[in-house]
Amino acid sequence: MSVVTLLLLAAPFFGLVLATHWRSFGFADGDGSAVAISLVYSLTALILIIILGTPLAWWLARYPMRGKWLIDALLLLALLTPPLALGLLLATMYGPYGPAGSLLERAGLVLTNSASAFVMAQFYSALPYYVIAARAAFEGVPRELEQIALTLGHSPWRSFLHVSLPLARLGLAAGIALAWVRALGEFGAVLIVAYYPQGIPVKLWVNLQDIGLSAVYPLLWVFFLVAMPLPLVLGLAARRRQLI
Amino acid sequence: MRIDYHIQEPIALDAAFDVEGFTVLLGASGEGKSLLLRAIAGLAPARGEPFDGMAAQHRAVGYLPQGYALFPHLNAWQNVAFSLRGPQRRQQAMQWLERVHVAECAERYPATLSGGQQQRVALARAMARRPQLLLLDEPTSALDPVTRDDVIAELIAEVHEFGIPTLAVSHDPHLAAVADRLVLMHGRGIIQIGTPDTVYASPVSGAAARLLGYRNVHRGRIDQAGDAARLVWPEGGISFPLETEKPSAIEVDWMIDPSAIRIADTNKAPPDAIIASVEVRHRDDRITQLGLRCGRARLWVTAPPDQHLPETLAIQLPSTAIRYWPR
Repeated sequence: MSVVTLLLLAAPFFGLVLATHWRSFGFADGDGSAVAISLVYSLTALILIIILGTPLAWWLARYPMRGKWLIDALLLLALLTPPLALGLLLATMYGPYGPAGSLLERAGLVLTNSASAFVMAQFYSALPYYVIAARAAFEGVPRELEQIALTLGHSPWRSFLHVSLPLARLGLAAGIALAWVRALGEFGAVLIVAYYPQGIPVKLWVNLQDIGLSAVYPLLWVFFLVAMPLPLVLGLAARRRQLI
Repeated sequence: MRIDYHIQEPIALDAAFDVEGFTVLLGASGEGKSLLLRAIAGLAPARGEPFDGMAAQHRAVGYLPQGYALFPHLNAWQNVAFSLRGPQRRQQAMQWLERVHVAECAERYPATLSGGQQQRVALARAMARRPQLLLLDEPTSALDPVTRDDVIAELIAEVHEFGIPTLAVSHDPHLAAVADRLVLMHGRGIIQIGTPDTVYASPVSGAAARLLGYRNVHRGRIDQAGDAARLVWPEGGISFPLETEKPSAIEVDWMIDPSAIRIADTNKAPPDAIIASVEVRHRDDRITQLGLRCGRARLWVTAPPDQHLPETLAIQLPSTAIRYWPR
């Protein structure tokens, strides 16, 4: 049964191997910069997600409060929103005529067709995945161990660094990998708020429109090549006992 | 060291007593013993001395929770070195492990250690913090019954060697019996304090006797029948004569030592003997403990191992061997 599932999973990629014109394997104009844009901006979005998402996930995991279901509903809402619709909502809020967008533009931050807009779209689409995974990871850390760290003279912050983080590392690594994949592959939201600069997903679409399938496959291969290492390394490293 | 703590939430609890040497706070489950330890360690909201109002990380206590809570991602020496700083921390951790005789386990992770080894590593970790007070929560609960007595002996020897006042909370009378000082807790308060000798010799109530592990502690009532008083045991469905100066018709807890109960031949049984059937036999090389069914309750009787005993016995409860406390 598992073999059948694996075969089903592998089928589209097998198709890619067959469909790629290996003899005339070449790139379209702008593919290189699309790769660079995707990598640099996804990494930026990922760092922002970790910095802003980790405290939220920790708070959700550790501090009971009334009305928490509202926060759960909000996270679910962010997950449920179709990417294209998310792009439209972002444009409504942060676009040149949006309430936040017009204010930010006055402060010099343009959130339409800019690097910032690109990172923002990725941030919004990947953040809920990270928060949900990280929250589950922190919930799995026995509270008693954090408290023992306190009785051993560690401050709450040191206890977090030396006990909670290492013990949650598997789940956190999964959350980071998930957010990375989600940010890097984001198409719909990015298409709406940042048609330019073009990352790999939008460039795939542009190549398809302008040239055809032959220009899609090479870039897709590169996409897999650059997207894969981070989640792979994270997964392997987190499983090593003495990572942190 | 004087402990004086007042807890409001999640249950109301007051406790004031001295911790000297190895002190055991004996109480039934649900009394709030663990809560008291957590309060002293600064992990539960409470007022009291010592350490009043201090954050947990500033309290000089060594706290060993049930199950010891070793960090699973760190090996034994890293666990011990957790509270240590500086380049010498590994060496210092190794010295602590040597003091508790588990230096050979230094590189092993907690999951691969036995209960006794985990306890020693946890003790070394707590001691490395240089505490003024050691707190042990149910230190015998996670131990293998076969090695338990040895582990307790080792633990007490180490605690004495460290010379730090130690408070162990437990519901285990075995641990209470080896304490330097014993504190009994019942009904969310302290009911008796003393050395194990004095406390075991004269428990202040039926509840205290039950905590201390005495068998045959039951509820009853003293009734006056003419000149003679009788102890009525409703659960056992019987009554027997009692020498007492107490007024009649009082509710009591009463107790009789299993070895004081006399076993008679059913054919030659005196008129006040109780006929009971044997429900369970515990035999070891020295004595036989018999569990006798009496109404809805059970009475324990000690008999020599070589004595032949039929399934139905006649027993006598000598009036002089019965202790009782008004409820």
